[in-house]
Amino acid sequence: MTPDSSLPGRGPLPLLRFLGLVLLGAAIGGVAALAATGFVRCVLWLNELLLISPRSRMMFDHSGALVAATVAVPTLGGLIVGHLHRHIPEGRPHTPADAIAAVQTRRGRLPARAGGITAVSAMISLGAGASVGQYGPLVHLGATLGSLGARLMRLGRSEDNITIACGVAAAIATAFNAPLAGIIFAHEVVLRHYALRAFAPIAAAAIVGHVIATQALAQGALFHVADTVVPRAWEFGLFVAIGGGGALVAGAYMHAILGVGRLAARLPLRPALRPALAGAMLGTLALWVPDILGMGQETLRFATIPGAFGGGELLLVLALKIAATALCLGMGFSGGVFSPALVIGTLFGALCGTLVASISGAPQETFIFYAVCGMVAVTAPVIGAPLTSLLIVFELTGNYALTTAALASVTLASPIAAQLFGRSLFDIQLHGRGLDLSSGRGRALLMDTPVIDYLTQACVTLSPGISLDEAITTLARERHSEAYLVDEQGRYHGCVTLAELEAARQEAGGRRRTQACVDTRRPTLCRDSTLWEAMALLEEVTGEALAVVDEGVFRGVVYEVHIAHAYLHQSDALRREEHGHG
Amino acid sequence: MVSRPIAVLLLGLTAWATTALAEPLRVLSWGGAYERAQREALFDPFTEQTGRDVEVHQYDGGLDALRRAEADWDVIDMTRSQAMAACREGLLQPLPHNLPAPAPDGTPAERDFLPGAIGECALTHSIFATVVAYRRDAFPGRRPTRIADLFDQQRFPGPRALQRTPAVNLEWALLSYGVAREELYRLLSTPRGLRLALDRLGELEETHWWEAGDESPRLLTESEVVMASGYNGRFFDAVINQGADIEILWDAQVQEHETWAIPRHARQPDKAREFIRFATSTERLAELARRIPYGPARRSAILQVTTHPDSDLDMRLHMPTHPLNDAGAIVKDEDWYASTRSRLDDYFEAWLALRGCLISVNEPCPSP
Repeated sequence: MTPDSSLPGRGPLPLLRFLGLVLLGAAIGGVAALAATGFVRCVLWLNELLLISPRSRMMFDHSGALVAATVAVPTLGGLIVGHLHRHIPEGRPHTPADAIAAVQTRRGRLPARAGGITAVSAMISLGAGASVGQYGPLVHLGATLGSLGARLMRLGRSEDNITIACGVAAAIATAFNAPLAGIIFAHEVVLRHYALRAFAPIAAAAIVGHVIATQALAQGALFHVADTVVPRAWEFGLFVAIGGGGALVAGAYMHAILGVGRLAARLPLRPALRPALAGAMLGTLALWVPDILGMGQETLRFATIPGAFGGGELLLVLALKIAATALCLGMGFSGGVFSPALVIGTLFGALCGTLVASISGAPQETFIFYAVCGMVAVTAPVIGAPLTSLLIVFELTGNYALTTAALASVTLASPIAAQLFGRSLFDIQLHGRGLDLSSGRGRALLMDTPVIDYLTQACVTLSPGISLDEAITTLARERHSEAYLVDEQGRYHGCVTLAELEAARQEAGGRRRTQACVDTRRPTLCRDSTLWEAMALLEEVTGEALAVVDEGVFRGVVYEVHIAHAYLHQSDALRREEHGHG
Repeated sequence: MVSRPIAVLLLGLTAWATTALAEPLRVLSWGGAYERAQREALFDPFTEQTGRDVEVHQYDGGLDALRRAEADWDVIDMTRSQAMAACREGLLQPLPHNLPAPAPDGTPAERDFLPGAIGECALTHSIFATVVAYRRDAFPGRRPTRIADLFDQQRFPGPRALQRTPAVNLEWALLSYGVAREELYRLLSTPRGLRLALDRLGELEETHWWEAGDESPRLLTESEVVMASGYNGRFFDAVINQGADIEILWDAQVQEHETWAIPRHARQPDKAREFIRFATSTERLAELARRIPYGPARRSAILQVTTHPDSDLDMRLHMPTHPLNDAGAIVKDEDWYASTRSRLDDYFEAWLALRGCLISVNEPCPSP
């Protein structure tokens, strides 16, 4: 091997291409950040206009009309959202899970139309006060814009994946004003590997997003923390325990969403009308507990203040917020899971803090630590991103003590939740749709490639009735060692090998019918079989090829050498993508 | 050499001309030390430059006077929130965009004035603040640095004096929980936020509720209380003119804009505009700020403020807008107050009737 070929990608042209990709990343970051800014502003404006935000509710001085609006706005919002979703092929809003699936299977190419409709319906959902999050739609919007950028520049799938991650990073960097969290989120949740080739464009996108956020979106951060005291040593043990509890809360939250989704599918109500029903129920409930309306930023803030909620009140709002979010998302409102998880987690942490204070009788100086630990312990498992959650805490508060406390809690939260429920809600949802990401990207990729892509009819087929002599002659003439028995109706009867045929001829003579020495242990594939299943079968089979049989009818064969080739090709593409420099 | 009778005649003619041709400019303002400062820095120099007298009337800041048909003053000095309300009611004349003069270095007025200073009907000239002041001798060895210290009677014991109004008090009370300034009005919009704020006010062991602006410096100087809220100009006046041993806590000061406006029925709107342009020039604003510690609304004027003419005190350090002082300033949400003030007042008074009345100096307790 020459030294040059051992250093792939060195030279002026690849460097220029790489710099071009970084520039494209920055451009996508700018567009995604502007879109995110517009989205957030639009939601805020709608919340003011539609009497969802506490400020507008306080400034509106007609209590009767306020009650009517509280019920009517989410209901009508649901009606619009339900009808918008009919124009998406899957009939449901797209989520970050779709972006993750596109990257993990190297498909890329996020549909622009579905992405656009999802963004609008999420804006309406959030604007009308549905208990859903805004970061999921922003992430998906960024991913869609990134994918669109790659398509406009006529780039390949690998670049498409990177630009998707760029859009995601910029959206997070803008929405939280946290560029590091944006970069880590794109790697931790979307790409799930670390490559320098992807890092630079993503970092460029996040920085542009951050700059635009500080310039254009002068809204306050998610929460502000004044100077804190340093927690006592034994409290770190409690923070770890909160992590364990938070994992269970996260599991309850995720399964509530999925459960309502399953229940909704059985409702005798058209899918387009389901969000309206959820909106009506939410609005009615909000007349008593307004904390569950909308993203709940005020509730989140109050939950970090000792004494703002009583212990029982915390439990009630916690349960109702889980129920309201499950109702809205399960019944088909468009929106994310992160913002409600922030509220739920903070309420849970506040509950723990209140409990500890009432047992120990100590002053609640470290109350905010409990709230933040709970917040991280619930959100990290839900989005499957412990590092991102930590960085969000760090970048929003700039408080190192708080970040270490959050680290203590996430230490236990993420692994416990991953063991019990799955890596994240996105992974659970994708698993439900048949994409298993639990064993990493290589497997997901193989599972997503249908074996039918490698189907060929170039094989020896024999009638089951022919004699051993004839069969051996035909195989010898075709230079093959295996034949497939197919009758006149095209039905598959099994596979025979030259060795078996010869052995049978030695034992019973050449006139015997071939059908008698069919290799019954030889498995077959069907039309839907994936490359992954084919690879699994290869562990127990040695031979030339596997037959593809569809409802008893022979379709052709897939050669083992093709399967191995495909596997090597996929691995090579992954290796280049994940370990390439530029 | 002009003969004596002719000289007398000429003098008489001049006197007649100034009174008959130049009708005085009629200005509505607040009186007291503030009007004295305005007289020295604005009105007299204006007369000197234009030959036109300035006639000052006083009012209480309310809009009732403006609503009457005979409201024919030429210029009014009013707070921005009042000016915004009056503008909405059509009681004021819109101001032309080119009214304020550019800065001496040519910077256009739009960039020289502070954000929000140039309104549709009113032009901000100064910024005053509601602040907390404390007796320096009350807490030996330590001094309050944050607004939360107002509510910390363990570290800073002693009675407090607060204005009998929900505004400012609610903000300070909620801030003491560690809430960020940007989040104040969102959180005060919830029943939970209001309850938290009033709980904090109710925790104060002894509170005097003042109503007139001069009460709070008096309560402090007479040692009735150790900490009091009030207007920064009044506290400054108490220090300068009465030698009061008090200091201002600038954290969480609530700034308000003081503006010039022209009423709908002004008799001399042209002259009024000329006066406003004169009075909001960089030089005049800096002169005004030397006499009363209100922050000029122009950046160029802030840089030119020097010492107090009588005491030689560096006035910049006493401005609410000085960078050292306004790091923790609250931007009052005037829209929010415009639509909630009457309900908040009722809510606050009802709360006061139940809890705060026991220590109120102003009236006896109603039976709950």
